[in-house]
Amino acid sequence: MKGLTMKNFQGKEAWRTMTTNYSHWLSFILLLVVAIIVSPSFLSWNNITNQFVQGAIVGICAMGMSLIISAGMIDLSVGSSVALISGFGVTILNSTHSITLTLLFCLGAGMLLGLINGLLVTKGRIAPFIVTLATMSAWRSVINQMGQGGPFTVDKTMYAPFRALAAGRFLGIPHLMIFLIVISFLTAMLMSKTKFGTYVYAVGSNQQAARLSGINVDRVKTLIFTYAGMLYGLAAFLLASRLTSIQAASAGSGYEMDAIAAVAIGGTSMDGGKGKILGTFLGVLMLRIINTVLIMANVPPFLNGLVTGVIIIVAVLAQSTKKNK
Amino acid sequence: MILEMKNISKSFGPVQALKDVSFDVQHGEIHGLLGENGAGKTTLMNVLAGTFPPDSGTILIDGAEVVGMTPRKANEKKIRFIHQELNLCNDLTVFQNMFLGEEYSKDFWKIDRKRELKHAQEVLDSMNSGISAAYLVADLDTAQKQMVEIARALLFSSELIIMDEPTTALNNREIEKLFTIMETLKKEGVSFIYISHKMPELFRICDRYTVLRDGDFIQSGFFRDINEHQATELLVGKRFVQAHIKEGLPSSITDKVVLRAKNLQGKTFKNVSFDLHAGEIVIFTGLQGSGTDELATSLFGASSLSGGTVETSSGPLDMRDIKHVMKSGIGMIPRNRKERGILPDLSIRNNNSLAYLVSKHKAFFVSSKEEKARFEKSRIRMDIKVSNDLNPITSLSGGNQQKVILSRWLEIDADVYIMDNPTQGIDVGAKFAIYKLVVELASQGKAVLFFTSEYPEIHQLADRCFVLYKGEVTSELIRDEISEVAIMEYSTGTHREAHK
Repeated sequence: MKGLTMKNFQGKEAWRTMTTNYSHWLSFILLLVVAIIVSPSFLSWNNITNQFVQGAIVGICAMGMSLIISAGMIDLSVGSSVALISGFGVTILNSTHSITLTLLFCLGAGMLLGLINGLLVTKGRIAPFIVTLATMSAWRSVINQMGQGGPFTVDKTMYAPFRALAAGRFLGIPHLMIFLIVISFLTAMLMSKTKFGTYVYAVGSNQQAARLSGINVDRVKTLIFTYAGMLYGLAAFLLASRLTSIQAASAGSGYEMDAIAAVAIGGTSMDGGKGKILGTFLGVLMLRIINTVLIMANVPPFLNGLVTGVIIIVAVLAQSTKKNK
Repeated sequence: MILEMKNISKSFGPVQALKDVSFDVQHGEIHGLLGENGAGKTTLMNVLAGTFPPDSGTILIDGAEVVGMTPRKANEKKIRFIHQELNLCNDLTVFQNMFLGEEYSKDFWKIDRKRELKHAQEVLDSMNSGISAAYLVADLDTAQKQMVEIARALLFSSELIIMDEPTTALNNREIEKLFTIMETLKKEGVSFIYISHKMPELFRICDRYTVLRDGDFIQSGFFRDINEHQATELLVGKRFVQAHIKEGLPSSITDKVVLRAKNLQGKTFKNVSFDLHAGEIVIFTGLQGSGTDELATSLFGASSLSGGTVETSSGPLDMRDIKHVMKSGIGMIPRNRKERGILPDLSIRNNNSLAYLVSKHKAFFVSSKEEKARFEKSRIRMDIKVSNDLNPITSLSGGNQQKVILSRWLEIDADVYIMDNPTQGIDVGAKFAIYKLVVELASQGKAVLFFTSEYPEIHQLADRCFVLYKGEVTSELIRDEISEVAIMEYSTGTHREAHK
């Protein structure tokens, strides 16, 4: 009797483990099938690369967000940070005419903004939600003041070579797609193959136990924000290159929401401790696929947000049913 | 009020927590309830307060049987249970707390704050507490919060107040104040049931005693007829002594000092000094609130010391930096595995290697082959029952989880192991495995600082034993001097004055 119930339990458990561990794959394939049914040309090379290009910049931000959420934190300042850095980046490009310097500036500025978030969270003992709510508001305000309502536009002399960075292709593959894949791969390596990755999950899983194992929790948190900031800097650089004109008030707006959504759909628990970089990568693509399918199915564009919202809720519900077993 | 509880029995599954216990409290009496942890004191009080019903037995109040006791009924019968952990909302005022759930109302829907404030203040003044009912509870110290709990009990003129270890967080002056209030109330006819482990306090304030042991009623009587030593013997009983792990093994203690603590001071302990030798097992014990908890974490740098130094052979340690302490050859198995030990979302393998990654692993990348090999070594050494080491650690039983935590620290090959109640909540087999490991470590020349409050562990393992009482070392016993009665006496403060 006892053995029997035990066995059933294990069977159920195994099924549950499988469905939760691969839930991001299941939903990705499901969505893909829907997309192919709606539009058989979905699998054309042109369309596939297009999905990556559309998702790349938010996707790079979502990689940073993955780390932050895995450690049990949150970052609302993504969009504002991207706007601030890309606006400044265009100014630097126009005055130095050096793409390398501009890239270095963007990465450095991103790390600095991340460091500020990190230090406020760890040294200031303020909740990440509040810290990044404040910096979200602050950075947007700074770039608005800098731009005085007008856009930051790349000079004619730099226009062609700078724009080629985001718009160009290498062996037929768009640069943006390469950037997204490389950054995702590096982040996945960081999280699965290094001490640091283990520490991130440890901090998100049980901060007290992590500390008592000798992990410097504050330093790990600060480094997470700094790494994420660096990725926002890269995203800002690519955004400037792609648009060549940055609107202070609207650039990057909503990025934090898309990034959080990608992480959530990708199967990362909002409580921290568990996170899947591959899941986030698929999450980014899923958001794009949803978008494309809605357009192809002639759903009124105003309802786009509603459908995305429902899908996010469904994804998170799937996680919580697992927890309240 | 005269309370009688007759032939109360209660079991939880296979565990019989109370066996046919009878007990009575007279009008205007302070009755001390004694027993070790798990003796059934709290269960008995929960039956009385209606938290759960007994399996059998009756409760009589002033001669009339009370059937189907519930917390609400207990309140109506003017019985109040003040729990060990204070149940106050810090962000509310004193009077709001006192009336919580039983507010005075006016005009059908409004709270009558004025009337509440007035009544609360009257009670607080009658106790000479010096507390204003309008204070925020957050601004009060622990003793004052305790006063508020008592005031709350008096608000509705309770006639029997149950106090579960009320003095754990109080200092001597505050305890005296509490006793004065209790004596005043006693003269007015209020009865108390007083649960405590501290002998001097029990003898100071209580009239009669009842001793429980392993769910059995042992004895009742007047405190004036016994002394502290006799009380301790009643508490402990003549217990069967288990076979000895260390028997037959040569002593592994050497003269080499591996850790020297001088005049350590923290929030809950002071003046703790000791030398720890290679190959030695030193036990620290004490009742809850005696300061052992904080001492254990302080020695690892996990809570801050306000004074004193810790040295190893390589010099004094920076006790603010856990990583530095670890690298100096100290490892700690923390108490409360669930809160402080395991990382529930991480795999068994990752849980095993965390400390190693922090203190020994130099490279940026971690080879999963090497990590697996390290776990495999731990698995064999500790006999951990695992199907797949990539499963989350929560898939293991408590005992196996604890073995993983232990091997986490064995991986760093420390000279000194601090083990803070490492056998908490695990089965007998796993406990025995841990004892064997501790002895094995000592025979390899490691030193072990073992924190526990369970006598069988002390008996099994100790080369030396330090007993703490109210934050100070009351005794340092060598192996031959260790007995359950002696340890109980020192940890309850019984022989404190004589040994000063």
